[in-house]
Amino acid sequence: MSAQISGGPTRGAVRDRLDRVTDPELDRSIVDLEYVDGIEIDGPRVAVDLTLPTAWCSPAFAWMMAVDARDEVESLPAVEEARIRLHDHMHETEINRGVNDRLPFAEAFPDADGDVAAVRTELDEKARVARQYDAVEALLDAGLDAEAIVDCSPCDLEMTDATDTVDVYVDDRSFAVTVPNDPIERYLEKARETDLVSEPDDLLFRTPEGDPIDPESFDHVHRRGRLAQVNMSSQGGICDGLREAREGRLEGTAND
Amino acid sequence: MSEKRVMWRDIDVHCAMYQHNGEDIFVIDGHVHLWDATEENIEHEGGEEFIQCFYDYHTTFTPEERQWDMDEYREYGADRMVEDLFSNAAADMAIFQPTYLTDFYEDGFNTTEQNAELATEYPERFVLNGTFDPRDGEEGLEYLEELHEKYDVPGVKLYTAEWRGDSKGWRLDDEDAFEFLEKCQELGIENIHAHKGPTIRPLNRDAFDVADVDDAASSFPELNFIVEHVGLPRLDDFCWIAAQENNVYGGLAVAAPFAQNRPGKFSEIMSELLWWLGEDRVIFGSDYAIWNPDWLVEEVLEAELTGEHRAEYGVEWDLETKKKVMGENIADLYDIDIEAKRQAFRDDEISQQFGLGDHYASEEPAAADD
Repeated sequence: MSAQISGGPTRGAVRDRLDRVTDPELDRSIVDLEYVDGIEIDGPRVAVDLTLPTAWCSPAFAWMMAVDARDEVESLPAVEEARIRLHDHMHETEINRGVNDRLPFAEAFPDADGDVAAVRTELDEKARVARQYDAVEALLDAGLDAEAIVDCSPCDLEMTDATDTVDVYVDDRSFAVTVPNDPIERYLEKARETDLVSEPDDLLFRTPEGDPIDPESFDHVHRRGRLAQVNMSSQGGICDGLREAREGRLEGTAND
Repeated sequence: MSEKRVMWRDIDVHCAMYQHNGEDIFVIDGHVHLWDATEENIEHEGGEEFIQCFYDYHTTFTPEERQWDMDEYREYGADRMVEDLFSNAAADMAIFQPTYLTDFYEDGFNTTEQNAELATEYPERFVLNGTFDPRDGEEGLEYLEELHEKYDVPGVKLYTAEWRGDSKGWRLDDEDAFEFLEKCQELGIENIHAHKGPTIRPLNRDAFDVADVDDAASSFPELNFIVEHVGLPRLDDFCWIAAQENNVYGGLAVAAPFAQNRPGKFSEIMSELLWWLGEDRVIFGSDYAIWNPDWLVEEVLEAELTGEHRAEYGVEWDLETKKKVMGENIADLYDIDIEAKRQAFRDDEISQQFGLGDHYASEEPAAADD
């Protein structure tokens, strides 16, 4: 590998951007999931090699990850162009061409029914529900009860960067509890992406359908968050297994 | 036959898996196939992709020493199937779930007619199901009647993501499908098995969306809707629907083999299912020949819920629950009298063939039979 050509991004910076891209079905980073096989930097031009667990991963999901990877890398000031090379996918030709030529999904897949935005929204909503579970768990651990939690708004939160914690004020700001920042921040990110929380006094937590939570049904709603997590991690188990089987087979072929 | 298989058989006999901890567990495998994916039968590249995809699922969740090679996987035949299911009494009965895929396979992949070869030879051991596809219109209704008259099918297996011409799937809650569900009701075909599961290349994921079951199940309260593969990767949608519709059941195919190499996940999925559906609406199926009951049944029976999950969900994977999930629940749906079956199996052809008579002879745990 040649030395960095001046003007290009560092490998670490590219990796950090890619780390923000999630597998939309699993809500996990594509870097953690080991989908990124290679990063090639040539001055301000970057190429990213991606391989998914199976050749028949939904083309819509593959498309989302490829587009997100391209856009994240291109958001680095030192990058002029990012190209995506998806490998071993049944639709790699359409996806690589579409993403690198910046076509809309419908043009890359003329015979697909339904558009990719609707699929993304559906999965984002599920990811929000799953992340809500962790955020609510943190608040329960801190001693808050259902009534207090369902009333929380963004204006009740005060982040303390130094300690990576957040103070949550309840009961008309009469007192606060301190919880880890991470689950709250992760939740807020998806709650904003799905437009559920935009104003400081919006309710922070919602049912999977997006409604305010009745304290009476708090436990049930919380269970549904857990279920959304189990669904994602189960699907992750299938994907992991299929990826291992596929790698095993490729190794077997290589050794032949 | 390889030495490896013989060796495994001996181990299995020692385990006497139908007598789990000294108690009889009558196992009805709710989801089996007798398929033909030979190259001569494939007429569309989708057929080859389909069997390759099945094979990946097979290898991913099968212990390495029990994996088949691709040739035996394409066509294993009736004798092999009987041996795999019954020779060590892994299963006591099995229910055929057809998968036609006639656009991909010249004679179909796994049709009722193909399944009938075995089902009519051993009618006491097998239940034969039919199918319908609302896109077939009048002809389809006639075919359903024909299946009813010829085989008296008590259920249908539906594949909403099946390709047909330009169509890449259909929904259970549209008007045409309702016409077929009405016909099922009229004919007394009560068990509606819908494949709602992992994407199978090259079928469309969205056509396996589980949401259409909701409307169908509430519109046909007298029918039972068994969602195969518990909706994975939409377990959350499935459980939510099942929690509200008490004629919706969860078929464990695909989730079951997690017991073998993802025991923690198995524990978690099973805990969710038992919490949302209760122990009366979860049903075992191997998905044979994707997975083989001759090792899978034991893995599932031996699986345990983690202490953490038991505490969190307040559910148990205990003997009573296992009895229900492995046989009693589906026996209720199919009006199978388990005690009468036990009597009949003391000297039926299969028990004679594999020397299983003793196992059905008494309530007492039999001594190891070798």
